[in-house]
Amino acid sequence: MFVPCGESGPDLSGYTLLMPAVSVGNVGQLAIDLIISTLNMSKIGYFYTDCLVPVVGNNPYATAEENSTELSINTEVYSLPSKKLVALQLRSIFIKYKSKSFCEKLLSWVKSSNCAKVIVLSSSHSYHRNDLQLRSTPFRYLVTPSLQNTVQNQLMNLNWEEMEKSPRIPEINDSDTCIRIPGGGITKTLYEESCSREIPMAVLLKFVSEGDNIPDALGLVEYLNEWLHIIQPRSADPTTSALPWKMPSSWKLLFGSGLPPALF
Amino acid sequence: MNSGVWEEVGRAGLWNEWCGAKAAADLAPAEASCIFYRLRSGPSVLLCQCSCYVAEDQQFPWLEKVFGSRPRRDVQVTVLTCRHVTDYKSPESPGSLPTPFLRALKTRAETEPPGCPPLEQPNIAHDLPAAVLSFCQVWKVPAVLYLCYTDVMKLDLLTAEAFRPALSSQSLRGLAQDVPQSRECLKRLAATDEVQSNIYT
Repeated sequence: MFVPCGESGPDLSGYTLLMPAVSVGNVGQLAIDLIISTLNMSKIGYFYTDCLVPVVGNNPYATAEENSTELSINTEVYSLPSKKLVALQLRSIFIKYKSKSFCEKLLSWVKSSNCAKVIVLSSSHSYHRNDLQLRSTPFRYLVTPSLQNTVQNQLMNLNWEEMEKSPRIPEINDSDTCIRIPGGGITKTLYEESCSREIPMAVLLKFVSEGDNIPDALGLVEYLNEWLHIIQPRSADPTTSALPWKMPSSWKLLFGSGLPPALF
Repeated sequence: MNSGVWEEVGRAGLWNEWCGAKAAADLAPAEASCIFYRLRSGPSVLLCQCSCYVAEDQQFPWLEKVFGSRPRRDVQVTVLTCRHVTDYKSPESPGSLPTPFLRALKTRAETEPPGCPPLEQPNIAHDLPAAVLSFCQVWKVPAVLYLCYTDVMKLDLLTAEAFRPALSSQSLRGLAQDVPQSRECLKRLAATDEVQSNIYT
């Protein structure tokens, strides 16, 4: 359930909700971290459930000592009213058998909040790509029918590629087709439930492998930015380096502590 | 606990793969995983000694049983726990860190600064202490978690003494006896453990 930081909950009608799926390489979560950090979004509440493993730490977006001791938990909600953006961040994995329950609770909250649309940032195993996918861009999108009319033209003008369907039985080409998102965590469940509940949802994902997934997260936020124009480029020159995404202060020691000097 | 008279007021038994083969219903009273005590001279002070791993899917029900679904905001919670120093992320290698050392995390509702440095990013706390602190943060309960990073796996005097800054906090200040007696008690506890671990006796 959503629990506000203040005494009353904010009005999220008409807002765009950005959220990650816990998926291969944690790309969606890294992307949401970049968005919250770059836009300096403010925490407005918690999505408190028994569905994710509890974790706590100090403020992952701290910019100074004064704001470094604000406690953060595993599911938090941030907003930027000037752009009507709200972001849900998930910081841990699902407890066994609880992912479907989380999807139900989340979509009930989305419905009751009257958000204009939900965008799920996700990823899928790159080794599952077919031959066509190997030769094309690694980015894909999906939209639910209730969002399709509103955004289809925009996405077509961007020349984006829709996620392909694959045969339900892989060995039989003329069997029914369905969406598969291997390594995508709850992405497919969220998408299918949103289709049936008429929730306007888009999924943006990238084919990735596990490793240093920061470049993948940067790629995914820039893909999102092509559509939403969350931030503007530093200059009009298209040859200059990428948009000014700000990495959170917690993005350090991602691959462990320092090494003992005696090792070398 | 050596500083006052505590009476047992409740027990909680649970079973998971880490507790051993016995089912929760078969646990004898002496084997209960969580024992709750109340201070006789100050009945509003409760202490919980948790001697078993509380699994992820048991943490939320544990919180609801202990605190209820919406805790009172005039409750003050302090959690003490230990982790191995290899869990602590720092630019220096774990072997060069001056163990044991204490770090703290506190909820927004807790206004008193803890008596030790805050836990630096990117370090996090998990398991039951994280579940308790998350619960307190969401429901605006003042709470502080003291995390001691140590390089030993058994009770030892140095690790126990590393919690000393926690004893000078507002919530625990009145509960701990004066320093010389507590040191003696810790020495006795640590010595008992050392004798049992000597395989040559």
